[in-house]
Amino acid sequence: MNRFSLAVSGGIARVTEAALGPYQTAVVRIGFSATWLLFLLRELPHRHELYGPDGPWSWDLAQQLIGDNGSFTVLMWSDGRVWFEIVYALAVLSSALLMLGWRTRTMSVLFMAGVLSLQNRSVFMGDGGDNVLHLMSIYLVFTRCAQVWSLDARRALRDRAARARGERVTDRTGPLLWGVLGFVLVAVTLAGRMQGDWLIPVLLWTVWVVLGLWWLVGRRARTGEPRVLLDVVANIVHNGALLVIMAEACLIYATAGWYKVQGSRWQDGTAVYYPLHLEYFSPWPGLADLLSASGTMVMLVTYGTVLVQVAFPFTLFNRRVKNVLLAVMITEHAVIAVVLGLPFFSLAMIAADAVFLPTGFLRRLGGRAVRARERLRRRGGRARLPGQRTSESPEATHVGFGA
Amino acid sequence: MDAYDEGSTARHGPDAPSTPTPPAGHEAPVDPSGPVEPFGTDGQRLPYPPREPRTGIAALSLRYQVGVALALAVVAIGVCVHLGMTFLHVAPANTVTRAHGKAVDDWIYPEFEQNWKLFAPNPLQQNISIQVRAGVRGPDGMTLTTGWYDLSAEDGRAIDGNLLPSHTQQNELRRAWDFFVATHDGENRPMGLRGALSEAYLRRIMVLRLTDDDAVRAATGGAGVIERVQVRSRTSNVPPPPWSREKVSTTPSYRELPWWKVARDEAEGGVR
Repeated sequence: MNRFSLAVSGGIARVTEAALGPYQTAVVRIGFSATWLLFLLRELPHRHELYGPDGPWSWDLAQQLIGDNGSFTVLMWSDGRVWFEIVYALAVLSSALLMLGWRTRTMSVLFMAGVLSLQNRSVFMGDGGDNVLHLMSIYLVFTRCAQVWSLDARRALRDRAARARGERVTDRTGPLLWGVLGFVLVAVTLAGRMQGDWLIPVLLWTVWVVLGLWWLVGRRARTGEPRVLLDVVANIVHNGALLVIMAEACLIYATAGWYKVQGSRWQDGTAVYYPLHLEYFSPWPGLADLLSASGTMVMLVTYGTVLVQVAFPFTLFNRRVKNVLLAVMITEHAVIAVVLGLPFFSLAMIAADAVFLPTGFLRRLGGRAVRARERLRRRGGRARLPGQRTSESPEATHVGFGA
Repeated sequence: MDAYDEGSTARHGPDAPSTPTPPAGHEAPVDPSGPVEPFGTDGQRLPYPPREPRTGIAALSLRYQVGVALALAVVAIGVCVHLGMTFLHVAPANTVTRAHGKAVDDWIYPEFEQNWKLFAPNPLQQNISIQVRAGVRGPDGMTLTTGWYDLSAEDGRAIDGNLLPSHTQQNELRRAWDFFVATHDGENRPMGLRGALSEAYLRRIMVLRLTDDDAVRAATGGAGVIERVQVRSRTSNVPPPPWSREKVSTTPSYRELPWWKVARDEAEGGVR
């Protein structure tokens, strides 16, 4: 009994004192925002056909369906072309800024609004990749996903160094952004545009209120306690969302795997042959023929796919096996991207897989990225940008390169 | 989860001390803009407040501890309910969903809907091609009926050799047809609102594709107006793999829909 209560209090301490998985959540953030950004850029020429007011799934048709299912989309606020262009541009911008980790919490909300708005506007354009993105864009809002690899982290570092030198740090951008978004939120709510399901409007309002509270407490609170409380709550919410993200990835694989087990084609070992010969999923007919030339190979891949998908959730209990399976799955998705012509689906799935990557690997990856950039910079012969201090915080510049 | 836990313990291991000395084997100087971990040691990972001494929840007064406990309970319950609902949503119909299906649907729809039966239980083993022909009125007032255009084949050609197929090529027509089939009975009669919507959607796609199609414009002298369209699907089995002894018919089957009138404004650029 004593051991049990010790374990419980240990667990509580862990989920309250830190937002776990800083590298994993950062890579998930970067992965999904990059996927959506690349998708939006790729579809730039087709944007009107996909989501525009005059596309085949016209504004009126969407209106009728959304009136029925109540999903969230700001594109229903107006059927104007200009509004559509603004929303598309904001979706591009917010995903780019989320990727960079600039004002991350706010950007994650805007990112979510962009994803939901476009996808819910034309639900029949999407595929599995869009579905993953849809869910993850909501879950990301709850995470502290900018602890590393973000402009926010860099800013926090600088602010800390400045405070250490006794300087006053005032942030004008944050309150300004908050004010503008608050204005929009109030206007939209008063105009009665927040119809349909209550979930997303409530989420938008909650985040906005909490951000305001955060700022106020950081400024006004006489004791440290309110701040600590907010921080602890943010950690708890983050850790809950992280668990949901990981469980969601497991559910995806478990569902995909367990339903396959029941299929006769997956049982007789020919399943993989068929998608390779569908008109819509065969960009490289020659390659598909090559891959399906050997019946034994096709069977091995077919069985392997099911095996990996069914097994994956259980391998989380063993680190080494988990990492091997993760590598296999990421490779398989990379192959699917090219062979079945599903690049954005694959990217989204790889981004979801990335939540299980080991910290050591991610740190090495980060270190390598920095070194590569340094090398590029030196080769380019460019001088250091004036904005980048080297003398400011000696202790800070060297933290975090242990791996 | 274990995989994840070990990762985070590993993080606390070698790099915990945030000493000013750069770790061995690392080339200086390090760019501060790079991916640095901003909050070195464990206790200082709080991005806010900046210079707080290490504080656990134990350091909080009772009032705030109650707040933490409350937050913990709410999040724990929320996570459990959400995961439970999501599980029931993706699981096959079962005893629980038969009894509480409404509660699950209320939770899941509209934003958490998901379908992960990817190529399952069986991958599609048929190529379904959507074909269309149109009744076009030329500038001289004569009406002519075009031949059948295989739009799926056009999509297929657009995807061939394409590293980044567009959703307009890969999903639009394919999913519009799935939507149509799912909302119509065997006699092609629409079922409910969605049936009507799917018809309008499919018709608009047809008009869009026909107006974009060079061949159609050539056939109608470029000035024709589409008055009506007819859609049919051509379903043919993927021939079984060469090593298999299976035999399937390769004769395609057709499903032909009735002619649909195209409203004037729709035909004249209502669709873009």
